Amino acid sequence: MPELFHRKLERTAIGFTLAIIAAASVGGIVEIAPLFTIDETVEEAPDLRLYTPLELAGRNIYVREGCYACHSQMIRTLRDEVERYGPYSLAVESKYDHPMLWGSKRTGPDLARVGGKYSDFWHVAHLTNPRDVVPESNMPAYRFLARATLDTSDLGVHLEAQRAVGVPYTDEMVENASRDAFGQATPDTEPASGVVERYGEATQVSAFDGVTTRVTEMDALVAYLQVLGRLTGAAFENTAASEETPDPQQ
Amino acid sequence: MDLDHDTLVAFSKSWGLFYLIALSIAVLIYTFLPSNRKRFDDAKKNILDKDDTPWRR
Amino acid sequence: MIAQLTTSERRQSAIILLVLGMAGLAMAALGRSDPLGVHGLLVILFSVGLSYFVLSSFYEPEPETDRLGLYYDDPIKVGIVLSMAWAVFGMFIGVWVAAQLAWPDLAFDAAWSSFGRLRPAHTTGVIFGFGGNALIATSFHVVQRTSRARLAGQVSPWFVLLGFNLFCVLAVTGYFMGLTQSKEYAEPEWYADLWLVIVWITYFVLYLRTLARRKEPHIYVANWYYMAFIVVVAILHIVNNVAVPVSLGHAKSYSVWAGVQDAMVQWWYGHNAVAFFLTAGFLAMLYYYLPIRAGRPIFSYRLSILSFWGITFFYMWAGSHHLHYTALPHWVQNLGMTFSVMLLVPSWASAGNALLTLNGAWHKVRDDATLRFITVAVLFYGLSTFEGSFLAIRPVNSLSHYTDWTVGHVHAGALGWVALITFGSFYTLVPTLWKRERMYSAGLVEVHFWLALAGTLVYVFAMWNSGIIQGLMWRTYTDDGTLAYSFIDSLLAMYPYYIARAFGGLLFLLGAIVACYNIWMTVRHVPLSASRRADIPITGLPAGAATPAE
Repeated sequence: MPELFHRKLERTAIGFTLAIIAAASVGGIVEIAPLFTIDETVEEAPDLRLYTPLELAGRNIYVREGCYACHSQMIRTLRDEVERYGPYSLAVESKYDHPMLWGSKRTGPDLARVGGKYSDFWHVAHLTNPRDVVPESNMPAYRFLARATLDTSDLGVHLEAQRAVGVPYTDEMVENASRDAFGQATPDTEPASGVVERYGEATQVSAFDGVTTRVTEMDALVAYLQVLGRLTGAAFENTAASEETPDPQQ
Repeated sequence: MDLDHDTLVAFSKSWGLFYLIALSIAVLIYTFLPSNRKRFDDAKKNILDKDDTPWRR
Repeated sequence: MIAQLTTSERRQSAIILLVLGMAGLAMAALGRSDPLGVHGLLVILFSVGLSYFVLSSFYEPEPETDRLGLYYDDPIKVGIVLSMAWAVFGMFIGVWVAAQLAWPDLAFDAAWSSFGRLRPAHTTGVIFGFGGNALIATSFHVVQRTSRARLAGQVSPWFVLLGFNLFCVLAVTGYFMGLTQSKEYAEPEWYADLWLVIVWITYFVLYLRTLARRKEPHIYVANWYYMAFIVVVAILHIVNNVAVPVSLGHAKSYSVWAGVQDAMVQWWYGHNAVAFFLTAGFLAMLYYYLPIRAGRPIFSYRLSILSFWGITFFYMWAGSHHLHYTALPHWVQNLGMTFSVMLLVPSWASAGNALLTLNGAWHKVRDDATLRFITVAVLFYGLSTFEGSFLAIRPVNSLSHYTDWTVGHVHAGALGWVALITFGSFYTLVPTLWKRERMYSAGLVEVHFWLALAGTLVYVFAMWNSGIIQGLMWRTYTDDGTLAYSFIDSLLAMYPYYIARAFGGLLFLLGAIVACYNIWMTVRHVPLSASRRADIPITGLPAGAATPAE
């Protein structure tokens, strides 16, 4: 019976294709399907806030420049990582990250909690030429970011697309996206207070690159870097102890 | 559909295993069925034949 | 090449190109204030260029010979040339990015040439450009020869081959402009992804229809692997790339997957791209070109069947080993680890099968550099599958993950296995396809072999060293219980290895250039083989070929 069955499968080759699909897809389905109910088991983070339009634009620049190729954003549950980078990353922290930027390689350090670790000024100097700040660094220089004016005109459309994939941006946020992007980089203006109003008190309003007359890609990227790990405080509360690093000598 | 996480995980774990076993048995039967021996031997050797033109009906 | 097509097929090609050109026009119009517009222009250029080619010989005489009596080899030849061109391009970018890690100023302060943009150009160039074209070309060859049937289409093979290359061009030029989804090995944006789906479905249908024309009741195992490659890559590609474009005028899109689900989907894709693109397809090459070159049938056909189903089934579970100790649920990590270790069984079965095939033919391995390419590829396959299973074990992974060890592992597979088996297959295939006596220079094949092997070893050893040192430095504590090294200390320790790896890559690149020269000279200067020329039938089949041994 199985023999006959297989012979038939082979003759048609379509059946053979189906057999390949059947054999190959199970593994993926078994591992992926349950993850869609993972919300039930994942930690709660009622304080989780969304990326502001400026931060989202910065995130897109991070993606565009391929920063994820050398910097991870996923602190593992190992003791040395927790001591080096901060509390290990929780699933809920990247809940609204489309796509996630966990990364797979650390040519440079992990950035999951880099937000607030350095000043805006440091970031600008470092991005302009990393070797001015860290002489041994092999990171590329990103001088062009400070020269490039950020295109804020279509940020509303970006927010709508984000909403289409499940990020709960409100109509008001979508409507004011360009204004909010401008406001976040120009403190003490009326648009600036609008961002805080819509995205929460914790929103960092700053003249990131030191120039308030225009919003550059440098502003956006620094705004994004400064919010990394600070969208929620969940990782700092009620998490289990980190694991001892496996030691083959023990 | 109100499947909760634990149910899905349990389902995955158990049926994934059953599926693995069933598939292995099916493949083993196919591979070692004596009546398949000749076909396999032919397939194995035929590729070394002179094959410079397609066959035609 | 156009001479092989009838007038109606030429018309068909022209219509397809016209539709493609219109699509390009739409992209250019909708995305006029976006990089999408540049890609629109590129698509138009591609379409116009090929149209010129088709139309300029539109009224040439039609092919006279009965085409079904011949294999369709033109697309294969072009595929090999494209593959080698991509190899040189991709490996050159690879050497360049490797050098940037040691000397960061080599980006020359431009945006397009910074590490983050060049890196996907390297991976796409070598995996999809070099590897993909090699897979398409050899699959067209193997399916025809093992089925004893001509490809089941005249235009579609060109559509598949050139369409795939358009995808690669869109991908690589996109990275230079900063277009990426940031999903590793699936970076191209939504429109390129959609295009690839169309190309891939055509490929699948073409392959199925060709198989359906076969004479033998049984499908030879190499075709199984090619089928698995085509089918599973389609599934992976579609699922991983589901995204919502910002608008039809934007190249940018947002993945529907987020966070932990996205991580799992991404590495389910990423790992199985390794499995079904870089393993299954190349195992297909192994199962055909190894017996052909060695002149001996595969050691155990049954073993090849068992390992086929083993690989097809097990690989799909293994992706989560990329996410050990992360926010992915623990049980998924363990499942991934378990299956990764089990995967060693079918992998080594394949490698053992190949090596046992060579038993009794080892003198050929010694004398014939082409066969040596294939043999060493098998050894590296065995090595990197072992290493892969090993690195998938959680405690090992705690050390190796995020370090250069992973990079070394990937290159042991990519250089040692994928590239070497491809070169071995090409050196077998080129004289056959162009009906030459032999390659232009056996000596240059030998030179290429040693350059490739030396390059791979230098690269892999450098990355093993740097990876392990890096991993250990990150977790070393002082007696006071504080971390002993800052991150920058670990980076400083890497510089010598980064230079060594760039050097290893350079050797490998030089080998590929030697191969290009050798192939070029074979086609241009080696005389037609008397025996092979005689085999081209003018009418009907030679008596011997009509009744293959059943």
